[in-house]
Formats: sequence, structure tokens, C-alpha cells
Amino acid sequence: MPGKVALKICPDLLSVLAKNTKTVVVTGTNGKTTSSRMIEKAFEDAGLAPLANRSGANLISGITTEFALNSNIFGTCRKKYAVIECDEAAARLCLPMLKPKAVLVTNLFRDQLDRYGEVTHTLAKIREGLEGTPNAVLCLNADCSLTSSLALELKNDVVYYGINQSAAPESKSVTLSDATHCIRCKAQYSYSYSTYGHLGGFYCESCGYKRPEPDVAVTAINEIAADASSVIMKIDGHKSVVSINLPAIYNIYNAAGAIACVKAFGMDSSLAIDALAVFRCGFGRMEKFDLGKAGARMCLVKNPAGCNQVIDFLAATKGERTLVICLNDNDADGTDVSWIWDVSFETLAENAGDYGRIIVSGLRANDLRVRLKYAGFEDDKIEIICDYNALAETLMNEEKPIYIVPTYTSMLDFRACLVSKLGGSRFWEG
Amino acid sequence: MEIKICHIYPDVLNLYGDRGNIVAIEKRLLWRGIDCTIKNLNIGEAAKLSEFDIAFIGGGQDFEQEALLDDLHKGKDKEIKSAVDDGVTFLAICGGYQMLGQYYETYEKKLCDFIGAVPLYTVGGKDRLIGNFVFDCDGAGSIVGFENHSGKTYLMDGASPLGKVRCGFGNNGEDSTEGIRYKNVFGSYSHGPLLPKNPLLCDEIIKTALDRKYGKTDLAPLNDDAEEAAHNQMVQRILKSKAEK
Repeated sequence: MPGKVALKICPDLLSVLAKNTKTVVVTGTNGKTTSSRMIEKAFEDAGLAPLANRSGANLISGITTEFALNSNIFGTCRKKYAVIECDEAAARLCLPMLKPKAVLVTNLFRDQLDRYGEVTHTLAKIREGLEGTPNAVLCLNADCSLTSSLALELKNDVVYYGINQSAAPESKSVTLSDATHCIRCKAQYSYSYSTYGHLGGFYCESCGYKRPEPDVAVTAINEIAADASSVIMKIDGHKSVVSINLPAIYNIYNAAGAIACVKAFGMDSSLAIDALAVFRCGFGRMEKFDLGKAGARMCLVKNPAGCNQVIDFLAATKGERTLVICLNDNDADGTDVSWIWDVSFETLAENAGDYGRIIVSGLRANDLRVRLKYAGFEDDKIEIICDYNALAETLMNEEKPIYIVPTYTSMLDFRACLVSKLGGSRFWEG
Repeated sequence: MEIKICHIYPDVLNLYGDRGNIVAIEKRLLWRGIDCTIKNLNIGEAAKLSEFDIAFIGGGQDFEQEALLDDLHKGKDKEIKSAVDDGVTFLAICGGYQMLGQYYETYEKKLCDFIGAVPLYTVGGKDRLIGNFVFDCDGAGSIVGFENHSGKTYLMDGASPLGKVRCGFGNNGEDSTEGIRYKNVFGSYSHGPLLPKNPLLCDEIIKTALDRKYGKTDLAPLNDDAEEAAHNQMVQRILKSKAEK
């Protein structure tokens, strides 16, 4: 990668390259890619033609490469605007160099413990990065006690977003909290409501730290359908209907974050609202494509919080379907697959009859088989197909709707296999 | 027959997949027609532990440890120690395993008093010991798991290791021991779901609890094809990668 070599020669190259570019940075555990693409779409529609990196290139080397490829011979970026997704562990180095105008922090969940360690360590890295960007407007998820705590010690302007109690859904999965105790005083939090994981109306009776009132608030959910959602958002006191061209509650958070970020950048929030209605993320993030007789949707998962959200999404959709789960344990997936035991596959097993076929794949398919057996699926109903070509072949003849739930590297591999088999045109454009 | 399980501190000691161990014990009891109840014992709650047959204590994040130690020293430490002495079957993983011991000396030389229920102590190390590992356990064959700890644990007189490390670090990366067997306590650094992929160890724990409650009990065999496939694949992969190094 050219970025890696260049960084050796000039460690602060990124700050030189990004000097004249007005940048938005998106970081946090879940939803970085989707939120970035939403913001990118709004910027594109506004004619700003932003520079954007893809999720695979969200470390300092990848971000530097992206800027370098778009720079003139004098070493300044030709693009006036940029929407940059940044790995949360890389935020410490990247933020001070990018000097962004706005930073969106989506949420903090336990992720790959083998790589990042505890969630509070990740929070500390993001905070360190933000200390080097005092002029950036922060867009913080008000419902995440870890994320919104960034405002306690930083003096930056803040735009909060969140889902209000009036719109809080009933969570179906047994959710383990990643933040039970107050980040400020370590007493146990109380909650007036919760949306999922540790997100919701938290407050600490001991020190008074509580969910801040959001500036961009989801006040009602009209509909969460299999393909899209419609919600009411109150933005600086004005209510708007917002259609989000993606299903599932976590994408409502991503949408609210994108609106907050566009607003923080100084643009009209209606630009973001319009973009959300037609936006398509692609690349495994709730991505639809023509596979089999009834189509398929690929839902990338990376950690228990995100996977439980996909489980809730599956549980809310009706009818017989084929489910494919692919688990890899490469470095980018996390080498520790213990987290599958924190995912409420039991919720799916309650309606085991909906799953005409259930297929496990990936390097750790055997671990999934055990997990599903203990969740309540019949072991002899679980098919193991590790060869992606064979998996693609059998799915091409499938009558029922297909849901594919892969971890990161299995998504890359299986998606590439499907693209070569189906041809790019059979995918929805990402 | 019925086995009563107490899950100690599921509110804070719930790091990656710990509850898989409870699920495995519960299912393997139910599949054999043995009833099972599970009580969650959170911070601030009290329970008479010797009334339970199996107690489970998992691993957690450092951040919540202070709140937990406060609660522990309000009487739960004595409760846990007397239950261990009474012969209640314990499964303790990672942070919970360390906590059953005498003390933890941090890398900065700060000493934390722990429960003192089993003869071991832990010293904070500089590096984290991370990765898939395999150890051999008397009565349960090879055990496969994932370890991720910076503490190095040393067994004291009267304690036996749960197993001998074949590949990986184990208790401290120095003496090839992994975990502890002491009275009816099973302790291990194999965090997360240790039991689902190691059904022999799960049954050994179940049998220990049943024997204590009902006298010598024979366990009906189960079909373990899925568990064995997952177990064998990982053992082979880990030993192969060790051989290649």
C-alpha cells in the first residue's frame, strides 16, 4: 500500500495532504460504513463531490493513500470535501491530522477484545484523538453512555442525536449491557427505557450523569418494514417525516447520526433527509441482490450488539426463509469467536419452523453448528457448506427468500464469489 | 433429579460468551431428563450459596471491578468461601477464577485482596497472553479454548492444575499448568464458552454436582457429533499451527 511507505518517510503526511480539505470523520464501533455512505450521499447530492474512503481502508495508511491518490503534485488534495470513515483505534492518530470540521461518534460496544481490549480503552483512544481537534463539532449518540461521556471532558461544540422514549421499540433479544456502571462515578445506571444493548435513557442516581437531550431526536417510529423504515424526527424543534431506505433499528440510529453530522457541518439537514430516502449502502450492509427465486439480503455482523440487532430484524420479518450464517476468525473478524454465545440465537429458534433451511459456513462453521444446537435448533437440520462455490450454487436454486449473515472476511470472500457467479449487474448498486 | 445453578455476578462478569457455559450445563441436564434451575446473583443481592449445586463465575472488564470488589467484601466473599469448603461444585473462568484465589498483585505492585477460597494467587503481567490454546485434562481428555489475560496465576500447596498445557500459555506461560482442581472447584483461563466444545469436561462438572447431591450417578450418553466435530477441528488446527512454528 503506497500510504504505508509514504508514512514511513513523512509521518504527518496526512496532515499535509488534508490541509485544504473540509472533512467529516465517522468513528465508533458499529455503523461507521453505513453512516459514512449516508453522509457521502448527502454531500454528493449537494454537488460537493467528496473524497471518501471505503471500510477496508479506514486505518491511517488507508486514509493517507486515499488522500494521496487524489492529490496534485504539490501535495494538496484536489478534493475540497471529504467523508472519512476512521477505525476507532486509529482515531487517536488520524483526528489531529485530519482536523475535521465535524466528527460523528456512532456508539461504543464491545468488539474484538483480542485486538482492542476493553471498551473503555477504545473510548480513551477516541477522546485522545478529539483532544487534538478542538474546533470540530462533535455529533454524539446521546443514548450511548460511553459515547456521550466524551462531552464531559471536551470543550467542543456538540450536536446530540438519539431515539426518544416515545419511539423506543421493544427489544426482543436478551441484550447484555456493555456499560452497566457509570463512566463518571462507577455507580450502577438506572434506565427509563432502552432501545438495544446499553443504549437508551440512562441516568446515574449517584452523580447525576444522564442521557443528554438530543438535538436530532427520533420521536416516533411509523414503520419498520422488511426493506425500509419511516420515522418522525424532531430536528432543532421542527418535526419531519424521515424515510430510511434500510430496515432495522440500528439504521435509524445511523440515519439520525448522519443528519446530525450534515447539520454540524453547516449544511441544511433536509439534504440528509432527502438522501436517506434513496440511499443504498451495499457491500454486505443489509445489501439486497438477485439470488435464487425470491432474492437475498446480506447482513454483515461484527460483534454481539450488531448481531443481536440482525436477529431482531430476522425475528420481525415473517415467512419461511433460508438462513446462511458464515463465521470466520481471521484477524479482521476477531480471532476469538466466543461472542456467538452472547448472541440470542434462541430468539430465532423460537420460530425454528420459519427456517426451512439453515446453513452454516466459514472457517468456524462447526462452532456455529454447536451454538445453534444449544440454541434449540435440531442438529440434523443444520447443513454445513464450507465451500463458497457450492454454497452459491445451492442458493441459486433456492425458492425461498435468503438471508446471509456473515462476519467481515467471510462477507468479502462470499460476496466476491457471488459477484463472479451472478455478475455485478445483479447486485443493487452500492 | 434437579440441579440448582447460581450464576454469580452475571451483570458485570459476562465477558464474551460466558453464558455459553450455563447454556451447556443446562441443556446437557435437560437432554438427560434432569431438571435445572438458574439463579442470577447480581451486585447488591444476597443468596445462600451452599443451597446450590453448581456455582458459575465468569470474567469481566477491569472497569467494573471496583464496584464488584466492594460488593464482594460486604459478605459474598465469606459466602463463596464457605460454599467451596462445603463442596459446592464451582466453575470459575478468567477474572472469576483469579478472584477465587488469595490475592491479585497488579503490575504496578498494588495488592488486591480476593476471596481466598482456593490456593492460588495472581500477579499482573506486562503483556497479554492471547490466543487459542489446548490443554490435557485428566478425565476429560484434550480441552480447547481461547485465553486472553494479563494476570499470571500460580498454584499453591494443596491445589492441582485442571490440566497440562499442550499449546498456549495457561496459568502463567511458565510452568505448563492450566487452571485449578481443588475440592469441587474447576477453574480455567479458557474464557467464554469453555464447556460447549468440551462436552466431556461439562459432563465431569455435572457428575461432580450430581454425585454430591444424589450419591454416585451414571450419566446417560448423548450424541456429541456436533461438539466433537468443533472440538477436533480446533485441536487439530492449533496443534498443526504449533508444529509449523
